[in-house]
Amino acid sequence: MSDLASTRIDRRRVLLGIGGTALASATLAACGGNTGRQSSSTTTGGEGKPAIAQWYHQYGEAGTQQAVERYAKAYPAAKVTVTWKPGDYDQSTAASLLTNSGPDVFEYGNGPTIDMIKGNQVVDLTDLFGDARSDFNDAILKRFTYQDKIWAIPQVIDMQLLVYRKSMLDKAGVQPPETIDDLVSAAKELTGSKVKGLFLGNDGGAGLMGGPMLWSAGLDYLTDDNTFGFDDPKAAQAFTVLRTLFTSKDLLLGAPADWFDPSALTQGLTAMQFTGLWTFPDITKGLSDDFGCVPWPAMDGGAKSVPVGAYGSCVSARAKDVNASKAFAKWLWIDQTDDQLDFATAYGFHIPSRKSLLSKAKTLQSGPAKDAAQYAVDNGHAQTPLLWTPKCQTAFTDMMTKIVKDGADPEKQIAACQTVADAELKRVTA
Amino acid sequence: MPDGGRRRAEAGHGLSAVTTPERPGRPSLARRLRGPQDRTLWFWVFVGPFVLGLLVFVYVPIAWSIYLSFFDAYNTVTPSRFVGLGNYVDMLRDPAFRSSLLTFIVFAAFIVPTTFVLSLGAALLVARTRVMRAFFRSVFFMPVACSYVVAALIWKMSIFSGVRFGLVNTVLGWLGRDSIPFLSVTHPPWYWLVLVTVRLWLQVGFYMILFLAALQRISPTLYEAAAIDGAQGFQVFRHITLPQLRPASTAVILLLLINAFQAFDEFFNILSTFGGYPPYARPPLVYLYYTALGSGQDFGHGSAGAVILTLLIAIVALVQGRLTGIGRAAD
Amino acid sequence: MAIVRSPTQRAWSVARYAGLGVASALFLIPFYLLVRNAFMSDTDLTAPDWYWLPPHWQWSNVTGVFDDPAVPMARALANSVAISVVQTIGVLVLSGLAGYGLARIPYRWSNAVFYTITATLLIPAAVTFVPSFVLVSTLGWISTLRGLIIPGLFQALATFLFRQFFLSFPKEIEEAAFLDGLGYWGTFWRIVVPNSGGFVAAIGTITFIGSWNAFLWPLVIGRDPSSWTVQIALSTYLTAQRVDLAQLFMAALIAILPLLLMFLFLQRWIVEGVERTGIAGD
Repeated sequence: MSDLASTRIDRRRVLLGIGGTALASATLAACGGNTGRQSSSTTTGGEGKPAIAQWYHQYGEAGTQQAVERYAKAYPAAKVTVTWKPGDYDQSTAASLLTNSGPDVFEYGNGPTIDMIKGNQVVDLTDLFGDARSDFNDAILKRFTYQDKIWAIPQVIDMQLLVYRKSMLDKAGVQPPETIDDLVSAAKELTGSKVKGLFLGNDGGAGLMGGPMLWSAGLDYLTDDNTFGFDDPKAAQAFTVLRTLFTSKDLLLGAPADWFDPSALTQGLTAMQFTGLWTFPDITKGLSDDFGCVPWPAMDGGAKSVPVGAYGSCVSARAKDVNASKAFAKWLWIDQTDDQLDFATAYGFHIPSRKSLLSKAKTLQSGPAKDAAQYAVDNGHAQTPLLWTPKCQTAFTDMMTKIVKDGADPEKQIAACQTVADAELKRVTA
Repeated sequence: MPDGGRRRAEAGHGLSAVTTPERPGRPSLARRLRGPQDRTLWFWVFVGPFVLGLLVFVYVPIAWSIYLSFFDAYNTVTPSRFVGLGNYVDMLRDPAFRSSLLTFIVFAAFIVPTTFVLSLGAALLVARTRVMRAFFRSVFFMPVACSYVVAALIWKMSIFSGVRFGLVNTVLGWLGRDSIPFLSVTHPPWYWLVLVTVRLWLQVGFYMILFLAALQRISPTLYEAAAIDGAQGFQVFRHITLPQLRPASTAVILLLLINAFQAFDEFFNILSTFGGYPPYARPPLVYLYYTALGSGQDFGHGSAGAVILTLLIAIVALVQGRLTGIGRAAD
Repeated sequence: MAIVRSPTQRAWSVARYAGLGVASALFLIPFYLLVRNAFMSDTDLTAPDWYWLPPHWQWSNVTGVFDDPAVPMARALANSVAISVVQTIGVLVLSGLAGYGLARIPYRWSNAVFYTITATLLIPAAVTFVPSFVLVSTLGWISTLRGLIIPGLFQALATFLFRQFFLSFPKEIEEAAFLDGLGYWGTFWRIVVPNSGGFVAAIGTITFIGSWNAFLWPLVIGRDPSSWTVQIALSTYLTAQRVDLAQLFMAALIAILPLLLMFLFLQRWIVEGVERTGIAGD
């Protein structure tokens, strides 16, 4: 199943990745390995160094693959082979982790899943962080943490936010929305015969906007002690806003390119669009400086928000040499800040995962990009919590779709979602 | 294959095979291979290599999946916690899974006869055509060569695109109608139009070829005899063509049923979005993919769901065989 | 039958051609759109006006696909051809033999074997994917041609169809061959196969198409870009950062073109084969 959908899934993850494959089964042989094991010459990468297989998913931006190969080659303590995997990266990686032919070091969207952690498929990386721990984006690091242990190193941050055409807002005399009420009325004002006011994806935001609406209402998927987080009339009210927009004719539906592509905005199909930071270079190309961005607005009692996500670099528990693999992951994603900066800013348009690098990123020093980088720090929420399993997410999307597209009763739909989520939470916290 | 025995009696060659195993002092393998008489041996020479491969590369994984369906198997294929029928109970209690099964029973009830009639119709038309026959046949068969991804791309982005430059919306525009966001709305369920047309386009040619091959092998003497008896038009079709097509029809219906229930690719490529797959027109396999067999690895529930789906297909196939009588005389 | 034509017959004939004409036009529209889109510029493709033909033919879309350094399209085409050819030949031999054995060699357990084979059609491949992958990995076949090709050789569908076909193969001819002392093996290769050209071609075509369009298996088994098939190369356009629709359609066109050409090239032979098979049944 190669698919149009995995495109979307990749983008939702909002990160870039690079993948390396490693056919060579290699083990640590490093001279002076303090494990006490003898290195076996047949399993090393040559020259007495261990061999490490590193996987990335295929990043769409030109030059990324060459960049990660360059980083890997520069690593002095092991021979790192990069595998770059197109297609359904999640499924093929998850399958490979069940065998001995999987990767040693690999990236995974928003870190390893809770079942990878509980199934002992990945190893604890907490001790690699040291002093750098506080320098990483808080929302992301929290997402990668389970029972006070960190299971992946954030590579680079992507985010979603509300982008608007300044000229269209000026012409209609509308201010960038601060509240959900502002947003709904702005969408109405901005809608004309050929232009719609707002674009939240071709499904009317059913797939994309559930999380931001919860945060708007001051709620979340889960509470801090990991129980169901939106059994609350405010959630029903928030989701109803999306239903109202869906039926209002102010929302763009059925655009040729979905929300993750800036075409609808640059071609003048919509005045405001919820999209990713990665679209900024294309928007600039199409609209010059005729655009601005804001976080998703708040309702009463809630807060503005932007979803953030990051591919996390993980180490497989089946790695031929776990210690050498951990050492490499630390070297690249914690120590090599120049490479991290290069990776975040030289190919696509992303945010470094370390706060101290923000001021060094030339791309983020002015205009909407500077605003966006600040939102990621101030208003960032991980897209979904670690314990929110694929099954919960499917139930959540079902709920959102029925509310937004079919006009189903939000209270009943939330209850249905809770039934699934409670069972899953009981399972993973057992 | 009830006629296997009949053929054995008719064909008259190699009757001795039936008793071969009891004969004392069997001849050498080389001798047995040389003579045509040892049917058991020859059967396995023909069928053995295939069956062996099937056992290793198909049956082992199937048995493994069934094994997993009785276990708690998150992110592992060598589970240790036996849960009996627990996974099956969970799946049958899951309203989303039940609803996708129900949807696809209805879908099969529609798409199977429709594809059957259209493919047979196309085959009959093409078979009776003298001029440009190769052209028409090629046109109907060509979509079979098109991958589901490419077809989904054309349907989603070009024919049924929701905005003004989609083909259908362009035509609607010429007629003075508003654009329809085919894949965004659920009332009315326009998405079925998209899904059904792409499936028909992709599949009709394949089954047409099967029917054509069968039609070509109906002996003209049967038609001549019918003509002498004064049969015409539809009568000939009903009393000669249709009965003669029985083996082909059985194959076609069985394959159509399996394909309907195992639908995945075009549904996935057309309806799924970054956020997931909507809860309507969701094939059982797509649901299992999202909840158990994709990036989330819950092989216990995923395998149990697949076994339930397989049993359902088997039951539906048997029931339709009973109802229509097409299945029975098949072989 | 073409000696006397009544007005009714003529009317039917006209109706038949009209029906075929309309149906053909509908069936060709998607291909037309694919070709049109592949040669459009991205701007024209998404423009509000409808163009029947590209206003500016973008031949650069072709070179764009082949010149992309990250996607070895030419190599992927060669890989796909090689894998599909080998797999098709393998399936035809294995399933042809098995289908004939099941249809024609009387054996007590023949039915049981047949149902055992057919039953596998009911099980969705998506479900056995992970166990299959682990199995092949255990064999050490990851990243090998063996791993790519061999597990795909055992196609229950092809065997099922061959068996159904051979069931209605005219028995008289085989009996004559038997009387000449050919035996099962000789009858199959010298009499049955040469007279089944059309059907073998049809199954071969279908197998080739399936093999050509396979995606997930080659993706997880073949890891190096030098082992990518066309479908994997095509998928890289779907994951490109910014979707260039026209380029995507061009890549899609390139991915299916070899199949279409092969089919059109073989068409005449398939037609003659099927018809010869038909005549043999008289």
